Amino acid sequence: MSDQKEQNSIPTTKTQRSAKFVKTGFKIGGNYIKHYSKKLFNPDLDKTELNEDNASDIYESLSELKGSALKVAQMLSMDKNLLPQAYTDKFSQSQYNAPPLSGPLIVQTFRKYFGKTPDKIYDKFNVRSSNAASIGQVHQAELNGKKLAVKVQYPGVGDSISSDLKMVKPIAFRMLGMSEKELDVYMKEVEERLVEETDYELEVRRSIEFSTACAGLENVVFPKYYPELSSRRIITMDWLEGLHLREFLNTNPSQQMRNKIGQALWDFYNFQQHELRAVHADPHPGNFMITGDDKLGIIDFGCIKEMPDDFYYPFFSLTSTNLMENKPETIKAFRQLDMVHPSDTPAQVEFYYQMYRQMIGLFAKPYTTDHFDFSQTAFFDELYGFGEKVSKMPEFKQARGVKHFIYINRTNFGLYNILHELKACVKTDTFKPHVVQQFA
Amino acid sequence: MATVESIQKAYIDFVLTEGEQPKSVYVFSKKNKMPEEEFYKYFASFDAIEQNIWTGFAVKTISEIKTQEVWPQYTSREKALSFFYSFFELVKGSRSFVVYSVKKQPKTFSTPQIFVGIKEVFETFCNDLIVEGIESNELSERKFFSNRYKDALWVQLVFVLHFWINDNSTGFEKTDEAIEKGINVTFDLFQRSPIDNLIEYGRFLAKHGGIKQSMGFGNN
Repeated sequence: MSDQKEQNSIPTTKTQRSAKFVKTGFKIGGNYIKHYSKKLFNPDLDKTELNEDNASDIYESLSELKGSALKVAQMLSMDKNLLPQAYTDKFSQSQYNAPPLSGPLIVQTFRKYFGKTPDKIYDKFNVRSSNAASIGQVHQAELNGKKLAVKVQYPGVGDSISSDLKMVKPIAFRMLGMSEKELDVYMKEVEERLVEETDYELEVRRSIEFSTACAGLENVVFPKYYPELSSRRIITMDWLEGLHLREFLNTNPSQQMRNKIGQALWDFYNFQQHELRAVHADPHPGNFMITGDDKLGIIDFGCIKEMPDDFYYPFFSLTSTNLMENKPETIKAFRQLDMVHPSDTPAQVEFYYQMYRQMIGLFAKPYTTDHFDFSQTAFFDELYGFGEKVSKMPEFKQARGVKHFIYINRTNFGLYNILHELKACVKTDTFKPHVVQQFA
Repeated sequence: MATVESIQKAYIDFVLTEGEQPKSVYVFSKKNKMPEEEFYKYFASFDAIEQNIWTGFAVKTISEIKTQEVWPQYTSREKALSFFYSFFELVKGSRSFVVYSVKKQPKTFSTPQIFVGIKEVFETFCNDLIVEGIESNELSERKFFSNRYKDALWVQLVFVLHFWINDNSTGFEKTDEAIEKGINVTFDLFQRSPIDNLIEYGRFLAKHGGIKQSMGFGNN
């Protein structure tokens, strides 16, 4: 959820949006003209080039207009290396772009799921949406004097995810320089999560579950959810008053305040990862608000990643120095995580051992001390530098690592990034990973 | 005593059970235990019943949407959208009849007899909102064309009707998408657009003549 001001800063006017569609239409038309004029001179020409031209234009406009395609490309590149800065910037924006639904369609959606129009359900309901959410939009409503946020999903999003991904797949793979077959397993993982995100009934259940489980955390607040006013396409929850993370930063908060919010964020994520073994896997700045009493408000539990033990233990055990110094056990963990393949030669094993050790060592740095200062750019430069280096290595062209990495990496690097933006110094030993020293 | 509603109901029940119209009004009346002339008091033929049902759909939709609290705030575009959504929500309750009735129509370009009434009601409704849209400058007034806007909307309605009949998606979500996209495109065309500017430019050049001379680069 963003607020009005945030929305004004991104291209959301109707004309701009439709212009974008028209542009794609023209381009694709142009591609056909190009194709048929070439075919005049070379009748044997097949459609491969045409399809490629079309696909990349469609992809371009998709990533400009919609989140899902861009998300996939970004998540995959995150998995390959450690997410360069440029991606993060785009990533923060990708959620805001989708054409708003017309008022009548909102009314229709309510009638379909509740049998009545919104003005019969709430005391007040604004048919013009106040914010865009990733796959829907948010409306303000009021019931019994309470201000509510009502999220309405775009129709057909569920169906379009699969077809979007299919269309994007070949191009995304080419952009990443990987083969389609190798990455199918990752693609499936992404598709599963995206489809889950479209199930609002599931989201309400989870939101209630997670907000209850996390209720004991300090300085973290959640809106109340109303299952009886929610359905497959509609979620009703309390309206959280507060500042968007970016806005909060613009107010020039004191270091103490930054640390407080940063700590809340750290605790929220690490409590989930290490105690619940399931985590809010969408650390997008738009999903957080800073409330009037300086607490961290968390909205949107659409994307939850659960961690099975056979991923959790080998991965987080690597964050403990004791295990890292034990080379045979570390390699065992790498094998369990599919980072070292059974077919690797001893030289390859050694190479990947060295690289992954460095990579995870960097990732685990905040865990190795009781405090960590996320404001230091040196740490992030090192992280990105390493990521860039790895992305250029031919050894990493092939996909490695179990599918769970996609979302866990996205979560943790997303968290690191936000903490960096906050320039927060946090206590990192509040919820420590559970580790084992030996593997079967 | 038969009423318009009771005859409609009996007729729908008959065609959906038998898959075809009754052999004659005589058979139909006898089955429903009323004298044949009682039938003619209300309808001239079976097609007249169908026509009446279709017209009823539109009339009901229009009166329903106009009672919604947001109605006065809607733009013309939104009013049209509202009609479409509500219309298809309404006919959902009679989907079997709608499918039966539409499918038995011969494929022609002219409007089938049973649609004559609904078309009239729908076009009056569209005309009102188009006039309103032109007055508020939401839509562009174009010579000859603006009188045809309502035809474009009628074509849309027939198109979406066929789309809906073939829609297999849960809750007919694809139909919602078809409406949202279709009506928006249609209204985008009704709005002032580059085409208007192009036409105006053409008119300007034609009026202020001299195209030949000015293009001739002093070719005297």
